[in-house]
Amino acid sequence: MDLREKLNILGDAAKYDVSCSSSGSSRGAPKGGLGSGCSAGICHTWSADGRCISLLKVLFSNACKYDCAYCINRRSNDIPRATFTPKELIDLTLEFYRRNYIEGLFLSSAVVGSPDNTMEKLVYVAKELRTVHRFGGYIHLKAIPGASSRLLYEAGLYADRSSVNVEIPSDRQLQYLAPEKNYESIFRPMNFLAERKLEYSAGKHSRYTPKFLPAGQSTQMIVGASGESDLQILRLSAGFYNQQRMKRVYFSGYIPVNADKRLPALTTKPPLLREHRLYQADWLMRFYHFGHEEILDESNPNLDPDLDPKAMWALRHPEFFPIDLQTADYEMILRVPGIGVKSAQLIVSGRRFCKIRLEQLKKMGVVLKRAKYFVYNPDVPANLRRLYPEMLRPLLIARPKPAQLDFFSQLQMPALPAPAPYKPAIQALPAPAPLSSAG
Amino acid sequence: MSLLISYDSSFDGFLSAVFEIYRQRLDVGDFLPERPYDPESSATFDLFLQPFHVETNMESARRLRRAVVNMAGEDVLNLLETAFRSEERGVEMKILAFLRELFSGTDPNYARNPTSTEMLPLFMLARAVRHESGGMLGLVRFNKAPDGSYIAEIEPKYDILEMIVGHFRGRFPNGRWAIVDVKRCYGAFYDGRHTEFLDLPDTATVSKTIAENAPPDDFTRMWKSYYDTMAIKERLNPRLLRRCLPVRYWKHLHERQDYVQPK
Repeated sequence: MDLREKLNILGDAAKYDVSCSSSGSSRGAPKGGLGSGCSAGICHTWSADGRCISLLKVLFSNACKYDCAYCINRRSNDIPRATFTPKELIDLTLEFYRRNYIEGLFLSSAVVGSPDNTMEKLVYVAKELRTVHRFGGYIHLKAIPGASSRLLYEAGLYADRSSVNVEIPSDRQLQYLAPEKNYESIFRPMNFLAERKLEYSAGKHSRYTPKFLPAGQSTQMIVGASGESDLQILRLSAGFYNQQRMKRVYFSGYIPVNADKRLPALTTKPPLLREHRLYQADWLMRFYHFGHEEILDESNPNLDPDLDPKAMWALRHPEFFPIDLQTADYEMILRVPGIGVKSAQLIVSGRRFCKIRLEQLKKMGVVLKRAKYFVYNPDVPANLRRLYPEMLRPLLIARPKPAQLDFFSQLQMPALPAPAPYKPAIQALPAPAPLSSAG
Repeated sequence: MSLLISYDSSFDGFLSAVFEIYRQRLDVGDFLPERPYDPESSATFDLFLQPFHVETNMESARRLRRAVVNMAGEDVLNLLETAFRSEERGVEMKILAFLRELFSGTDPNYARNPTSTEMLPLFMLARAVRHESGGMLGLVRFNKAPDGSYIAEIEPKYDILEMIVGHFRGRFPNGRWAIVDVKRCYGAFYDGRHTEFLDLPDTATVSKTIAENAPPDDFTRMWKSYYDTMAIKERLNPRLLRRCLPVRYWKHLHERQDYVQPK
């Protein structure tokens, strides 16, 4: 099998991993070597589905010994299997890097032999890159659940970021879908790395001390495969941010890749809108000073498909609005729908010198379509300066574009009545999610 | 009659022009940058403006730079230069309006207010330029020449080559490489120690020479097939793709070249 074929098989097997970021690590090229880290991260291209590609994302091997229902690489699937040799992978990474195709390497693997065995190979590749080839680019290593702490620690020394995927947002569902895995096996490496990182950041270092996971940890969960509510998902991710000090939690809308009676049918469409709303909520937690309990609570356990979570929050809290941009706190300006972080900073730095008016907001790039209902505007008559959520809601929802009626689609309706809906025998557990590498 | 001030299209040239405007109390109607790669720009003729040429004078440019730094600080000078790189029509008049207000000295805090009428458009323009230069760091595609050096063609909307060269010098300090702006016909050449900026002949010749010396090879083809496998069919989203990666960049990206629609 030639290298190109291997690359296609192992890239194809890795593509369901969402993490693509190359941020959080800043370093110059090592002496005599090549490659640097850019703390903002750099996207190198975008694939046809609009996801950015910044790292060479591949599996070391896809010959997995596990049989997780949601994963494309599971043992029982009949797919071509391949395994890189460390040299092939290193040469490929360096040559792609020199041509500026990639920002570094994202290396994951199916579990081959034992977890330790697999982890050892991943660490070996990272170590060769860093020490022999003096590679200063970004390296993201998957921590394989069940690997020994010695290997995990070593991975932390060579990698910029490490991740263990939770995959299914609840333990019971995970064990149902992936009999070889459970939360304990996933949280152990995660917590081990988080603790070492915490120890490292607490200590005093000279500039020669090797860094430990400078870009921290991330994880990923599948949305829409099992029955968890948005509230459970957000609560779990808030926990990751606060306890494990994760840099990112990724959501992956479930794409059916395997026919399995524990999972939604193969014809299920990926829940892209739900995934999008969850990311919006995630952004609110990370950049807009929102707590997860403010976004959702027991009485509203799911995000609104029609409205973004920030507008949803604002409509639930009419008592805060409209706000006066001239005097409101920065945190409060951030909570106005239509105003983002950059505009909020610009408003705060500009308002010391002059009045901020609607026409200026427009030039700053504020989305006035939404923001105008939430900010105090001197031109609005006093009796209208109150927010009525029930009047506002229909104005904020994007109306579908009018479309011409299509007579022919009507003609294609089946002539026979539809068969009775199929009821699966087991209904107790909802199905889990998609594919992803074994990590 | 107002003047149409032509200058050599460099930032120093523009500063010299502003210096002359103050020294000779000229009545400015508009500016005309003379770009050598774009002969049409210098042939522009305006019935209502009288042509007036200002030679670049490094000494007066230096004095004006110092004056801006003294009045407003290093950051503002940087911001003006970044906004100037946009080469947008009319940006010179916007900068001049800002400088007039700044030097009038009526408001001591003027330079610190990014939301003023003159500053906000420059601020947003500089943001757009920085945004492109940041994005371009990932979109440069080097081809390997037989002698082991790497060469890339770019065609950015704004003149950002000088802003991105430092990044590549830090990243590939031991290699020899070149990045050529084929639209503006100049390139940065790095020999392992120093970077040099050189003007090149016209666009067609430049592209042809590069294509002959550093043709696509096996790694280019592997990258392309890797790129194609990375897309998840169920999630195809052409609108999102075009928003993140505007079509104007596709021409120089091996992985997207095949998707460019012929005009």
